[in-house]
Amino acid sequence: MSSSGTRDLAVGIFVVIGLMALAFLSVQVGGLSLGRQGGLVLFATFDDIGGLSNRSPIRIGGVRVGRVTEIELDANLRPRVQLDLSPDLELTIDTMAAIRTSGLLGDQFIALEPGAEDEMLVSGEDVVFTESATNLDKLIGAVVHGGGND
Amino acid sequence: MKGVLSRLGAWVTGGVVGLGQTVNFGASVLRSAFVSPLRGRQIVAAIYDSGVLSLALLCASGATVGFVLGLQLYYTLSRFGAESSLGTAVGLALIRELGPVLTGLLVTGRAGSATCAEIGSMKATDQLDGLRMMAIDPIHFVVMPRALGIIIVMPLLSALFVIFGIGGAYLIGVELLGLDGGSYISGLESAVAFREDVLQSIVKSLIFGVLLALISTYRGYACAPNAVGVSRATTSTVVTTSVCILLADFVLTSLWGV
Amino acid sequence: MSAEGLSLSDQHSSHVEIEGVALRFGDRPVFSDLHCSFPRGKITVIMGPSGTGKSTLLRMIGGLQKPDQGCVRVAGQEIVGLSELELGRMRKQLGMLFQNGALLDSMSIFENVALPLREHGRQGEDEIRLHVRAGLEAVGLPDVDDLLPGELSGGMLRRAALARAIVSEPAVVLCDEPFSGLDPPNVSRIESLLRDLNRNLGLTLIVTSHHMASSLRMADQVLLLQEGHSISGSPQELAESRDSAIVDFMGEDGAEYLSHHVSVKEGH
Repeated sequence: MSSSGTRDLAVGIFVVIGLMALAFLSVQVGGLSLGRQGGLVLFATFDDIGGLSNRSPIRIGGVRVGRVTEIELDANLRPRVQLDLSPDLELTIDTMAAIRTSGLLGDQFIALEPGAEDEMLVSGEDVVFTESATNLDKLIGAVVHGGGND
Repeated sequence: MKGVLSRLGAWVTGGVVGLGQTVNFGASVLRSAFVSPLRGRQIVAAIYDSGVLSLALLCASGATVGFVLGLQLYYTLSRFGAESSLGTAVGLALIRELGPVLTGLLVTGRAGSATCAEIGSMKATDQLDGLRMMAIDPIHFVVMPRALGIIIVMPLLSALFVIFGIGGAYLIGVELLGLDGGSYISGLESAVAFREDVLQSIVKSLIFGVLLALISTYRGYACAPNAVGVSRATTSTVVTTSVCILLADFVLTSLWGV
Repeated sequence: MSAEGLSLSDQHSSHVEIEGVALRFGDRPVFSDLHCSFPRGKITVIMGPSGTGKSTLLRMIGGLQKPDQGCVRVAGQEIVGLSELELGRMRKQLGMLFQNGALLDSMSIFENVALPLREHGRQGEDEIRLHVRAGLEAVGLPDVDDLLPGELSGGMLRRAALARAIVSEPAVVLCDEPFSGLDPPNVSRIESLLRDLNRNLGLTLIVTSHHMASSLRMADQVLLLQEGHSISGSPQELAESRDSAIVDFMGEDGAEYLSHHVSVKEGH
């Protein structure tokens, strides 16, 4: 009886540890938030998104606050990006979204810079002020040829 | 030429018949899972045998795979100056492929072979017929709990394998090779998404669990009731399941896109 | 039950009947047209050279082996072609002792013997405990409750299996080679156990054996299987028979039985 008791205990501990591992992978690593419906979803339209892709991170001052969930072209054939942000984030309507690169060759991400207005953005609205990706080729071209003839 | 063709034909026919029988068997196992009583005691025993007893193996293997990934990817990535992506590369590789696949293969060797051999030797020593004579369905009493145990255990072990792998690569990359710990973790967290990566990983390990449970219990249940039969069935369980897991992994990965 | 007629061929007194059964394993015919019956409340010993299908016959009565043709009736019910569920219902009146015991390796002896009661009985835990203890004591194994089957000797294992076969009080007990590989004290122990069961509870016992002496001692009827057909009769009839097949099979043990029992009755 006592040996089957220890076995039951071992199985119980095993299942708990396993479920904790699954939960850790889902929530911490995979970024699953349980109240997902309440997430702040915004849109931003750029001229050029460079190497930005689905799942690229979104940061404010280097802190990760969300990720890109969809990229498509709008009616004017400009890339329109869907931003999925943490639900408790409060962003003013004059927030700026810029596409930046981490390091010289690193991944691209969207940096948000909050503004000074009192009004806040709500889900479904557009971030109006955007700054496109810095195109390295153009940059190099500009330096070499000494002029920015686009 | 004719001999080769007819042997090929026999092989194909045998395969199709075997597949049909396996599916039939699986259907009766599935049906018996909904018959009362639940067989909780047997299910707990099965989780102990295939889960708890595989735990040490899985954790050690996960950490070792993590070490190797850490070393290899660090040197490969550093040639492009992209060492900071180590977390991303390790995380995606482990969660999407290596975790479920290697867990599947290890559990096949550790628990699948044991399950097959146990059911086979129960058959060889009349224990299954003994149950029948007591009006107890051996599929319900012996097979279903073991199959269910394997299916329950697989995603849990796979998750532990992945975490130990990520930890192993962290040890190598950050502690040994001096990479920045923060960029390892943030690379990992920003690259891995729940739906595309973690959920698919869990679904994969569940599918591998179903494959292993079905093949190992069927091979044991259908083996020739003697020592040679049991050993053949055990070998064939390991071989068949390993191939099936690798094939299924390829199919699933290509279905879901990368 | 015990007051039934003595005529062994009387259909009304037979508990299990086999009619016109044929069975082949691949190319090897086991039975071609087998007819036999097993009287209620009696001990029938199935004998015959190895490979004549003694165990197969037992498995057929238990519904574990389907014949190619013919009828198998248990307590008047035709069992060939029943579904596994219906067979399960039929098997509740049967107990079977397998040659190697067939106890479940992973359960203690107590749990093994308690299994049929736990599965089908409506007894409470106390009552099950009482029944199992009584069963284990009846087979002379009072203190092996917590041992696993692997920790028992062959003779003890077979006795524990016998306890499991009778604990749910079946009407028919099938015993496959209960004496093989046992030392003389264990043979006589199991033999007297089987006889007590038959006498005290009126069980119908069907036993396969090639242990000549004990078989002839305990049998009410002997069924001799010979290449697919059968000869049956009381031990005395067989021992006295001049049929060359019977004489060949009985050999010296039969002659010894004859000299010990029959000659005494004839008053030498």
